[in-house]
Amino acid sequence: MDFEVVTPHTQSELLGAIAANQGKNFRIGAGYTDLINQFKLRPERDLTVINIAQIREDTFRNISKNDRCIELGALVTASDLLGNDTVRKEFPVLCEAASSVASMQIRNTATIGGNICNASPSADMSGALVALQARCRILNVKGERREEPLVSFIRGPRQTSLEKHEILERIIIPQNTSAVIKSGFEKIGARKSMEISIVFLAYHFQLSESGIIEKAGIACGAVAPVIPFADRACAYIVGKRLNELKDDEKEAFAQKVMEYAAPISDIRASAWYRNEVLYNISKALFE
Amino acid sequence: MTKEFKHIGKATQKFDGKERVSGKAVYGHDLELPGMLYAAILRTRYPCAEILSINTSKAKALEGVECVLTAEDADVHNISYKRDHPILKKGRVNCIRDEIVAVAARSKEIAEEAIRLIEVEYRVKKGVYDPFEALLDTAPIINEFGKGLESFDNKNIAEAFHYEHGDLEAEKARSKVIVKKRYELPRVTHACMATSNITADYSPLTGRLTLWASTQVPFLYLRDMAHALKMAPSNIRVVQPVIGGGFGSKLDMLPFEPICALLAIKTAKPVQLLYSREEEFLASPTRQPMVIDLTTGADEQGKFTFRAVEIIMDNGAYTSWGATTPFVMMQTFSSLYQVPACRFDARAVYTNNPFAGSFRGYGNPQATFALESNIDLMAEALGMDKAEIRLLNANYPGEITGQGLHYNTCGAIPALKAVVEKGRYHAIAHAPKEGRYKRGIGLASMLHVGGGAKIYRSDGCGTTLKLDDYGYLTIITGSNEIGQGSETVLAMIAMEELGIEQDKIKIINTDTDVKPWDVGVHASRTSFVAGNSLLGAISLLKEKLNKKAAELLHIEGPDFVYENGMIRVDAHEIKIDKVVRDIHFMPPHQLCEVSFFYEPSSEFQDKQFKGDVSGSYAFASQAIEVEVDTLTGAVRVLEVHVSQDVGRVLNPLGLQGQIEGGVATGIGYALTEEMIYEDGLLKNPSFHGYKLLTANDMPKVHFYPIETNDGAGPYGAKGASEAPLIPTSAAIANAVANAIGVRFYSLPLTAEKVLFALVQKSVGTPRRCATLSEHAQIEKQKGHGF
Repeated sequence: MDFEVVTPHTQSELLGAIAANQGKNFRIGAGYTDLINQFKLRPERDLTVINIAQIREDTFRNISKNDRCIELGALVTASDLLGNDTVRKEFPVLCEAASSVASMQIRNTATIGGNICNASPSADMSGALVALQARCRILNVKGERREEPLVSFIRGPRQTSLEKHEILERIIIPQNTSAVIKSGFEKIGARKSMEISIVFLAYHFQLSESGIIEKAGIACGAVAPVIPFADRACAYIVGKRLNELKDDEKEAFAQKVMEYAAPISDIRASAWYRNEVLYNISKALFE
Repeated sequence: MTKEFKHIGKATQKFDGKERVSGKAVYGHDLELPGMLYAAILRTRYPCAEILSINTSKAKALEGVECVLTAEDADVHNISYKRDHPILKKGRVNCIRDEIVAVAARSKEIAEEAIRLIEVEYRVKKGVYDPFEALLDTAPIINEFGKGLESFDNKNIAEAFHYEHGDLEAEKARSKVIVKKRYELPRVTHACMATSNITADYSPLTGRLTLWASTQVPFLYLRDMAHALKMAPSNIRVVQPVIGGGFGSKLDMLPFEPICALLAIKTAKPVQLLYSREEEFLASPTRQPMVIDLTTGADEQGKFTFRAVEIIMDNGAYTSWGATTPFVMMQTFSSLYQVPACRFDARAVYTNNPFAGSFRGYGNPQATFALESNIDLMAEALGMDKAEIRLLNANYPGEITGQGLHYNTCGAIPALKAVVEKGRYHAIAHAPKEGRYKRGIGLASMLHVGGGAKIYRSDGCGTTLKLDDYGYLTIITGSNEIGQGSETVLAMIAMEELGIEQDKIKIINTDTDVKPWDVGVHASRTSFVAGNSLLGAISLLKEKLNKKAAELLHIEGPDFVYENGMIRVDAHEIKIDKVVRDIHFMPPHQLCEVSFFYEPSSEFQDKQFKGDVSGSYAFASQAIEVEVDTLTGAVRVLEVHVSQDVGRVLNPLGLQGQIEGGVATGIGYALTEEMIYEDGLLKNPSFHGYKLLTANDMPKVHFYPIETNDGAGPYGAKGASEAPLIPTSAAIANAVANAIGVRFYSLPLTAEKVLFALVQKSVGTPRRCATLSEHAQIEKQKGHGF
């Protein structure tokens, strides 16, 4: 497949390239771990690739933190996340999701922005970010910015709210308000690496000193067209003591997670299996 | 009497390892010849259809296209084991791999564009994808070249085998338990790291065809190619580039190979054809999928009484060597453990599925899965310990089996005892099974040929040795290196016997114009056959050297020792290269070269498949511990204990590699790998959908070699390399049954299959039972079994 490549090195060159290509068919490429596969499966004609892999500006590259939030540039790779102390200590769900992505070679190049914008229902890192109630900062060709919760930014399989004149710049994760957390990423797949989730459950609970759940974030993957934030399950569990849930409460929680699942059957697993496993691992979260 | 060895039995790095890991090794994909063209193949869009028309005019008109080839343009013979496979198809297509048109062009891109420009009109027909359906009278004839009606009373039977020994009815009558089960085995593929490839060059001036081909059997390949192209075999030269994985996949010559040769002949230019990964999944060989109906019996004491086996194999549309896998399977049923009576029937049935080929283990993983599962079931029915029933019936040295296999040496009992003890079989098997993660352990054993297999007119191998006047040794061997470590073992033997260091040894083994005959890499035969052949040649070489050395040292009839480049006896010594120079340059002026052909003592089996088909036999047992996650159904393999009668360990490092590689393939076969077909179409032609396991999934593999020092093998060694995958899936299935109390009769044991069984087994109504039927529907679509 033939395509033109435009390689901006700065934000202004990037915005210029997007503006200049408004009349054309273009795709944004960063880590290329999804894009190359898509080109192979569905070759496109008259395509321009805007290659953002060479942009070095901090706003796209760094991981920063302040009192209210931690921010990730869209070009932060899965390996960058794994190497970041804040992510490792305070957001284990994101760290575990990043470490479950494919293989080291792919983690070294796959970006968080690409994972989000590819909008796959089984995107591991996006799932962790949905559980963390992350927001997307979006930049347009005029240099204007807007913010949108990630959970609504992703509209469907391969669909986001991103307009043709926009690009994802940064991802913003609210800081934990408690130092006591239970956070993790349960990935179900046939093998340990090079695997796309059959089902995943991303969870991030913030607890009081005495073990009462104060804030909850739950997202489930590969069970619906988008990655849903299971807010009714979260609401149900908030205020309860994490280590003292009764069996019927665990089951009620799992049932509430299931309300967000409407999986399909494909060659990797049947809808039956996805439902069954999601229920089981949701219930087992507290065991 | 054990001789102290300097090299044999010592861990030795692969002779060709540096070249491979540094990227210096030249694979078929790296070849580039002046003026070379690139080939592409148009395959059918439908697995079963009539071809109404083929229009290649647009492709022919495309700038850069040099040849467009259809069946009409090719004066060729059918290929394959049964010669039932046209290289290019006309009139009809029978499976989704079918080749219709081939193109050679000045670039890969042009060749692919030309393929897109070809228009084929089809009349789609309803195919037959289930071999049981193909056996019905109402089924259409699937392969028009098949001889089923004349040979086997059914038009869609491609090949059939019948074997028996002992009085089956009498043994049945005295059996205390009889277990009858049906086992269903999936279609899996080799997933070689290098995709299929060939480069062909033809000179119309000499009429000579040179093929750089990744074959495992160059001399059979040459013969098959000559037959296909109607050429004189000796006008074909086969050169093997470095081969990126064989595992049996390169035993058959496939249509793309003569197609590429034909394009080279038609254009008189070199032509290269490389598969993409998708093409590799779609159009390279697979293991035989099959259904095995197995009935086995044991008496009150647990002694086996009889086995009755009926196998239906999905042959696919054409017949490969794979159709002969019953030849190996019947050995397992007739001769793995002592069994007084056996009846075995296997039929390979044409369908519109892709044809299977040969794959490491050659039917034995399928047979062993069925047999070792049945043995567990019989032990349970008798209330016997599963290790004890196996030990009670185990093969022993000196045994001559019902099929006539002579076990001159046999490490079956020590191997079984080793894994039972080291694997802590009893402690784990009887530990309580509680909680979410349930652990279990399973046992399985296997029997395989260990000294080649006489299935062709010769099972031999030739070696020529050339010692130069600088003391460097060139080993020209008929055998092939396909990554299994053959060059290393041969070098080690030469180092041991001639005292020549490794960097003075060269191995020539890739060119049929140069190397002596050999039947090929298969049946775990190379170290055994090529090793013996090399030892024979070395003995001839030493005769020459000894004679001249004695002459130069003025001593008579000495018993020379070869060490560190010297030939010595007592205080006398002389440099080996000095002796060679004297042989060359002093009267009577001879070359320091010898040739030797080794033929194993094995015999052809008779029409009843009886006879001692191999020079020796390999035995192995595995104990595998698993953990089942009862919430997800995922099976994790924790520890694999392998014990194997290898005769003697030649290279421990190479052997460990073979053991771990085999176990990896076995685990994939047991748990995750499956080609999913829907009405003849492959649904998962990629590593994304085809779940080949990765290094991260590998458990710890403990290996306990058993050295029986078989007189037939080089230094007592037996073939070893297929064995480690053969009992693996059986041991895993037995371990899962031990862990969760549910037994599976089909592979792979996917998490979904296991969880479904657990839900079914659980007391009370399974949750969301309305969707259970949906699961069943999916399983059916995926075609488990078929």
